[in-house]
Amino acid sequence: MAFDVWSLVVIFEFLAFLVTFPLLVFGWLMGAKGRNAIRDGPFESGQPRMGEARQRYMMQYYPYLIMFVAFDIISMFLFTWGLAFSVLPFTDNLLFIVFLIVLVAPLGYALHLSGRRELW
Amino acid sequence: MNGLIAIPTLQELLNYIVGILTSRTFLEMIIFPGFLNIMLGAAFLVWLERKLIARVQLRIGPLYAGMWGILQPVADGVKLLFKEMIFPELADKKVLILGALALMMLAVAPVVPIPFGEGFVIADMNIGLLYVFAVISLFPTVILLIGWGSNSKYSLLGGLRSMFQQVAYEVPMWLSVLGIVMLTGTLNLTEIVKAQQKVWFIVPEVLGFAVFFTAILAELERIPFDLPEAETELVMGWMTELSGVAFMVGFLAMYTKVYVMSALMTALFLGGWSGPSVIPQPVWFLAKTFLVASVMVIIRGTFPRVRVDILLKAAWGRLLLLALANVFVTAGLIWLGLGGIWKV
Repeated sequence: MAFDVWSLVVIFEFLAFLVTFPLLVFGWLMGAKGRNAIRDGPFESGQPRMGEARQRYMMQYYPYLIMFVAFDIISMFLFTWGLAFSVLPFTDNLLFIVFLIVLVAPLGYALHLSGRRELW
Repeated sequence: MNGLIAIPTLQELLNYIVGILTSRTFLEMIIFPGFLNIMLGAAFLVWLERKLIARVQLRIGPLYAGMWGILQPVADGVKLLFKEMIFPELADKKVLILGALALMMLAVAPVVPIPFGEGFVIADMNIGLLYVFAVISLFPTVILLIGWGSNSKYSLLGGLRSMFQQVAYEVPMWLSVLGIVMLTGTLNLTEIVKAQQKVWFIVPEVLGFAVFFTAILAELERIPFDLPEAETELVMGWMTELSGVAFMVGFLAMYTKVYVMSALMTALFLGGWSGPSVIPQPVWFLAKTFLVASVMVIIRGTFPRVRVDILLKAAWGRLLLLALANVFVTAGLIWLGLGGIWKV
C-alpha cells in the first residue's frame, strides 16, 4: 500500500491525536475533583488575585518584530536561491551575495534604533 | 439488484485490517521512527537530564525507581495521570486542554521526514527541511494561545516572551541551514544525510552549526535562553496553569521537541546514520542524537540565564550576521571547487 506523502502526515497526526486524547480523558476521569474559591483562582504566588490578567503589556520588542517581518520573507526566498546555487552562473550568484551584503546596512540601522530604549 | 458496493466478507475485512497493521509504513509510524521511539526517547531524555544535571551539581539524582532510577519518568507520568486537573475559574479550559493536545501533535510532527536510518523514515519528503521549519514555526502560536487562555499574568507574560524569542531565533536558524542547501541542492533530509557519507557537514559548516545549535537552544527554551519559563520570575511561564495530565502532555511535548530537534541536528550536521557499519545505522543515529541532547543538558548545568534585551540583540546583531557569513563562506567553498565532495 502506497500513500501520498501528505496523507502520511495527516495519518501520523491523527495517530498522535489518538495517543494523546485518551490520556487527557483518562486524567479528567481519574483525577480528583473539588472546587473552592482559593483553588480556582489563578496562581499568583499565594497572594489573592490582583486585577485583570489580560491587561496591556509594554511591547518592548516591537522594533524586532518589524525586522522579523522583513527577514522572514527574505530568508524563505533565499532557500530557493540556495537550491539553484550550483546551477546558476557565477555572476547571478554574485548578485545575490552583493544583495545580502547590502542588506546588512539597514539591519545595522534597525538594530541601532531598537537598541535605543527611549524609543521603546 | 446487484449491490453497488460489494459487501466484504469477514475474512476479507480481517485480511485488509491485518494488511494495514503489518504494512511497513504503519509499523514505522507506530514503532521505530514513530511513536514508541519518540515517547521512549522523550522519557529517556527526562531521566538523562535529571541524572546528568545531578552529576553536574554533585548530587545523585533519581535513584530508587528501577536501576539508577531509570523508571523515574514512568513513575512521574503515572503520578500525574491521577492528579487533579485544576484550571482557574476565569481560564478558557477548552483552550488549555486543546492547546496541550495541539502542542503534543506539533511536537511529534517534525519526525515525519527525519531519516533514522536508510529506509527508516516515515515519509521521504522532497521538501522535508522546509516542512520541519514550517512545523516549528507553528509552536509560538499555540504557546501564546495557552498563555492567553490561562488568564493568568505569569502565563501571559511567559507566552509573550516565548513568542518573541522563538520568532526572533527562527530567522538565524533558517539562514544557518542555507549553506547545506547550497552544497547539496536539495531539501530532502535523506539525501542531505547521504551527501555526508564522506565528510560531515559540521566540517565545512562549523559556523552554521554554532548558529543552528544556539538558535535551537533558544527555540527549545533551554537554559541560557529559558526566559519564558524563568522559575524565579514567572513560576513556570506559560505552563503555570497547566496541571495534572494537561501539564504532563505539555511537558512531554517539550521533551519530545528536544528529542526531535536533536535528531534534526544529527541529520543535518553530524552525518545522520553514517558511521562504521559494525553497528546498525539506527543505533548510530540514536547515539548521536543523545550525544547532542547531553551537550544541551550540560549547557543547562553550566550557564546562567541571559537578559531579554541581550537575548534579542544576540539573535539579530550576532547570530544573523554569523549566519550570513556562513552563507558567504559556503559560496566561497563552492567557487573554489570543493562543492563536489558533498554533491548527491
